[in-house]
Amino acid sequence: MSMHERKTIDLEQGWEFMQKGITKLKNILEGLPESQFSSEDYMMLYTTIYNMCTQKPPHDYSQQLYDKYRESFEEYITSMVLPSLRVKHDEFMLRELVKRWLNHKVMVRWLSRFFHYLDRYFITRRSLPPLNEVGLTCFRDLVYQEVKDKVKDAVISLIDREREGEQIDRALLKNVLDIFVEIGLGNMECYENDFEAHLLKDTAAYYSRKASNWILEDSCPDYMLKKVQHELLYVNASQLLEKEHSGCHGLLRDDKVDDLSRMYRLFCRIQRGLDPVSQIFKQHVTIEGTALVKQAEDSASNKKAEKRDVVGLQEQVFVRKVIELHDKYLAYVNDCFQNHSLFHKALKEAFEVFCNKGVAGSSSAELLATFCDNILKKGGSEKLSDEAIEETLEKVVKLLAYISDKDLFAEFYRKKLARRLLFDKSANDDHERSILTKLKQQCGGQFTSKMEGMVTDLTLARENQSGFEDYLNSNAHANPGIDLTVTVLTTGFWPSYKSFDLNLPVEMVKCVEVFREFYQTKTKHRKLTWIYSLGTCNINAKFEHKTIELIVTTYQAAALLLFNASDRLSYSEIMTQLNLTDDDVIRLLHSLSCAKYKILNKEPNTKTISSTDVFEFNNKFNDKMRRIKIPLPPVDEKKKVIEDVDKDRRYAIDASIVRIMKSRKVLGHQQLVMECVEQLGRMFKPDFKAIKKRIEDLITRDYLERDKDNPNIFRYLA
Amino acid sequence: MSLKPKYLPSYFVSLRSPASLDISVFVSFKTFLGKKIINFIDPYVDMIVVDGISLLCTDLQVDPQDIVMVSVFMTQKNILPSDIEFEIDTIEKFREKLSYMRSELRDDQRFREIYNFSFGWAKEKGQKSLALETAIGMWQLLFAEWHWPLVDHWCQFLQLKHNKAISRDTWSQLLEFAKTIDLQLSNYDEEGAWPYLIDEFVEYLTENGIVQRPQN
Repeated sequence: MSMHERKTIDLEQGWEFMQKGITKLKNILEGLPESQFSSEDYMMLYTTIYNMCTQKPPHDYSQQLYDKYRESFEEYITSMVLPSLRVKHDEFMLRELVKRWLNHKVMVRWLSRFFHYLDRYFITRRSLPPLNEVGLTCFRDLVYQEVKDKVKDAVISLIDREREGEQIDRALLKNVLDIFVEIGLGNMECYENDFEAHLLKDTAAYYSRKASNWILEDSCPDYMLKKVQHELLYVNASQLLEKEHSGCHGLLRDDKVDDLSRMYRLFCRIQRGLDPVSQIFKQHVTIEGTALVKQAEDSASNKKAEKRDVVGLQEQVFVRKVIELHDKYLAYVNDCFQNHSLFHKALKEAFEVFCNKGVAGSSSAELLATFCDNILKKGGSEKLSDEAIEETLEKVVKLLAYISDKDLFAEFYRKKLARRLLFDKSANDDHERSILTKLKQQCGGQFTSKMEGMVTDLTLARENQSGFEDYLNSNAHANPGIDLTVTVLTTGFWPSYKSFDLNLPVEMVKCVEVFREFYQTKTKHRKLTWIYSLGTCNINAKFEHKTIELIVTTYQAAALLLFNASDRLSYSEIMTQLNLTDDDVIRLLHSLSCAKYKILNKEPNTKTISSTDVFEFNNKFNDKMRRIKIPLPPVDEKKKVIEDVDKDRRYAIDASIVRIMKSRKVLGHQQLVMECVEQLGRMFKPDFKAIKKRIEDLITRDYLERDKDNPNIFRYLA
Repeated sequence: MSLKPKYLPSYFVSLRSPASLDISVFVSFKTFLGKKIINFIDPYVDMIVVDGISLLCTDLQVDPQDIVMVSVFMTQKNILPSDIEFEIDTIEKFREKLSYMRSELRDDQRFREIYNFSFGWAKEKGQKSLALETAIGMWQLLFAEWHWPLVDHWCQFLQLKHNKAISRDTWSQLLEFAKTIDLQLSNYDEEGAWPYLIDEFVEYLTENGIVQRPQN
């Protein structure tokens, strides 16, 4: 077979032939009746292109064919694809798009085969976009650009509908999303910018609006699952959680317990996913607690304007509210957050923040102690059943765990306990012992040893008293003629009080003597210290109208007894004869002459005591009762308690530093401070400055020295 | 508040009053000066010792409040090595020795020795700490020689906020502070082991805007 000279094909003629093939392809795509392509058809089309591209110039039509290749797509898209898409909407539009895209890919595949020869030489040589790319780009530029927003909206509304529980065509969804991916021809930009960003925004908004559909896994297409879990939860977790109205804060604020449980279950799947949730939980609890503090603070300052005689009531309410808050969020931790340690820690840290703030000049340690006192004393403001008391005490002790100044609580508690025990104000011995057991469990034996000693002391004192009464009965000559009850206490257990201050009236001096004799028959080498300030006396006062029994303190009694010898006494005479301080004298004279019962007449008759006042016995005094109690308001002990605690702390810090240095011999400053804080942390949170001062004091006292070369290092001097 | 009254170090004060006179100081002083100058020193000893010192200072043309005198006493008490044997037989040679000692004060190590020695030297016998007035006087003298720009603020701060005696630890740490901490306090570490008084001084400086610490 010999090669014959090929006949030159001109453009028009060649293209006419190609056009037939393209029309056939379009008909097939449009589903019109058309026979399939045979391999001859294909061969002929390819050959035509080949021939047209290999003719000598000016008959090489490569460039023209390359352009016509593109125009074919453009023509098809403008005449067929776009009109069909424009008339459809929503899901139908999506279906059309998917179909059109599939068709388009088929068209690109076939056409690029027909024109394949262009790819091999012309395009390569000129570095033009290959045929496949040209085909797909046409769709992107003409179709995708026009419909992408509509498509995106349609897809998102489809997803939203599924979130609401509707069945949707997931295959369709997947196919549409594939378009977003494929249209990028290998890069994800289109997907990310035109769809994903919107979806994430929408999803965030959606889940903010409707927190009830947290279980995303069950409801989103598989395709989305991985993507969404990562993008939505992991990357956008904080944004989601912190949504103002329906993020984690919102759920906590609105007590959406179920939603919080769901949130927990969801976020615990992500690595470190619970960290931000627990942080928000902590913040939320802190804010609520701080608000309680603020509230109590406000009502305390309002109250100051009025009268101060209902002191403690606001504080009582405050502690109650804190307990309620704790109950509530502990339940959250246990239920919603499945007892996870992270949330226990968050709860603890939150309570530590506001529990250590204190209200209106009272530390929370004091408030808790006062709260306990109100529950445990007779006629306190809380009327509760035994069970409720037990339960409340349990909770108070739990709160104490958050208080850093446990030593301060102990000191206040001891003061109040002392008053309850000594003035017979304790409502129930079992409750007293029960709270001590609870405190012991939580804070250790050392914490409660003194308090337990106090309770025991009182039992012993009762035995002692009956011994004393027996002694008086058998030694008639010793009887002072006045009933005397003495409560003997162990010095170390009780708070410190002023002793031997008052100039005791002779009648009482006799009593003291008698008791001392009795006591010596029982014990040797024990020294009795008398604390008159804690004493109570029942005295008969003979007024003009009748005799009334007055229940007064020993101080008050001593003052009244002075008037057995003189009718009128000046302030300074009273003060000298009693041997008391101004504060005490003013306090007790006020109770006798300016308060409810005016046993003494004061000149001038004013509401306050001054050092120039003169007093006389009010013979005309009368009252319908036969027995009256004249209260003497206790001195505010707060300052002294705080001072005592401060002093104890200095010793505690000293001891701790010496203990540490004794074992370590040489230690850096920061480590020493840290270990010291750690050792003492169970009782109180030592202030760094205080530790520093103690270190310096120990240097002065030659327990420690600074290293010669490094002043940040201390050495123990044995 | 004026901070420039001339505080007298207590050793000068005590030398002024015959009752609390430290004879041994003067006697050993004489030993230090050596037998050769016994005739030279004797006239001073014969007088009431305090006046003797004063007169000696006058003859040496030295202010009795000059810190170099502390140096002299230290040398004489064998606290500082007396490395060169001067033939001191005239007041002129003594003067020469003084100017040599003064030059030594500029040496860091020597200054530190003198500084630390001053505490024990200046405090009352039997006391562990140094009365504030005395301490302030000593600081003014010492830091006049070894310049520390914050000394006036330090003294003012102490009088306003502290008003108590100064412990040896605070005394010696202050020199470390003056030597190592720059004037912007940029290398001061509040977590460090500085005595609390120095911590409070830093707070005072920053709160009153005397020093603007660089924010880090």
